[in-house]
Amino acid sequence: MLRRRPWWRVLLEEFRAIEEEMQRFEEEFMRRIKEAEAMRGCIIPLYNIYESGDEVILTADMPGVNKEEIDLRVGEDYVRVEAPCRSALRPGQKYLLHIKLPSKIDPSTVRARYREGVLEIVAKKKVAGVRVKVE
Amino acid sequence: MEEDVVRIVETRPIEGDGLVIVEGFPDIGLVGAIAASFMADKLGMEEVGYIDSDALPPLVAVRNGRILNLIRIYRKENLLALISDVPIPPPLVKPISQKIMEWVEGKRPRLFITLTGIPEPGRLNIERPKVFVLGSRPELTEEAARIDNVDRFTDGFVVGVKGMLLMEGYKRGLDTLLILAQSHFNYPDPGSAAEIVKYLAKYLNIEIDVKPLLESAEELKLRLRDLMMRTNQAMQGIQKAKELELPPVYL
Repeated sequence: MLRRRPWWRVLLEEFRAIEEEMQRFEEEFMRRIKEAEAMRGCIIPLYNIYESGDEVILTADMPGVNKEEIDLRVGEDYVRVEAPCRSALRPGQKYLLHIKLPSKIDPSTVRARYREGVLEIVAKKKVAGVRVKVE
Repeated sequence: MEEDVVRIVETRPIEGDGLVIVEGFPDIGLVGAIAASFMADKLGMEEVGYIDSDALPPLVAVRNGRILNLIRIYRKENLLALISDVPIPPPLVKPISQKIMEWVEGKRPRLFITLTGIPEPGRLNIERPKVFVLGSRPELTEEAARIDNVDRFTDGFVVGVKGMLLMEGYKRGLDTLLILAQSHFNYPDPGSAAEIVKYLAKYLNIEIDVKPLLESAEELKLRLRDLMMRTNQAMQGIQKAKELELPPVYL
């Protein structure tokens, strides 16, 4: 005769399955970053992208860089950053970040600064369309 | 059954009056982890125990040929520090907090201190991060805020092991102090950790120079990059971004 499992055990097993799935995802994420870095001999910096009103803000953690050596290129929908890492911990390695932006930007508005190991890039979003009067 | 989930092992008996226990597990900006590790290193604290659990990842840390436990307890005189090489896995947050505070209660310490960062989106514009304090009793908060005139943490969420330790301390009537400093959310932030160490030095009346910490900030950020990535993943599992929000007020 089949016995039904108690509800709490079903719930616990569900949580465990979700947890295991998250762990697999985390491992896959770390493995891909590490393999990409090893293959390209580069460091992929930790980064954040925010959309704030009419601006897109990107920050990237790139300690050990000379500001003058940062090669920053932007297009309407991408940012590419390359810079040699001058830390003795990573001799001969360079930072490389190439990401697609969540919104199109106007490249002529981009401003950037590098402070305490963090690069910040701010760009105005590309505005298209017509102004509508609100009644 | 629960005592099997987390085990606290004293390799040297931890006894004494007036103990102060400082916890620095990795989370926001690794602020607590950097501050507690720096303090343990500079004060010459010695390993006196460790915390183990089957829910921790099956790995050992090896440093200078020495095998280390993942979560270690250090001591010098009446000061103890809890330091972890891995972020606390989300399912372990509650059991480990309960077990630690149960153990702490048995030690009858003078104070339990938990260190963390407070996420500040405008961190890049801040030269000297502010320090905030919150005690398990209002009198403790006031006493702590008088040191160096730091701010009181009055509104917000404290997510994860720091929040659970504070709550357990509050429930058990143990003097527990949360010390926070403005920090990058998911980049290692030695500058923020330095502010916490400076504050702790004054509060605990110990001598510790943060200059070496600030001088090695870039190197430290590179060394801690992998731990920060792992910690970011763990923080997603416990809704850590909620610390950027305010609790709802209905009236």
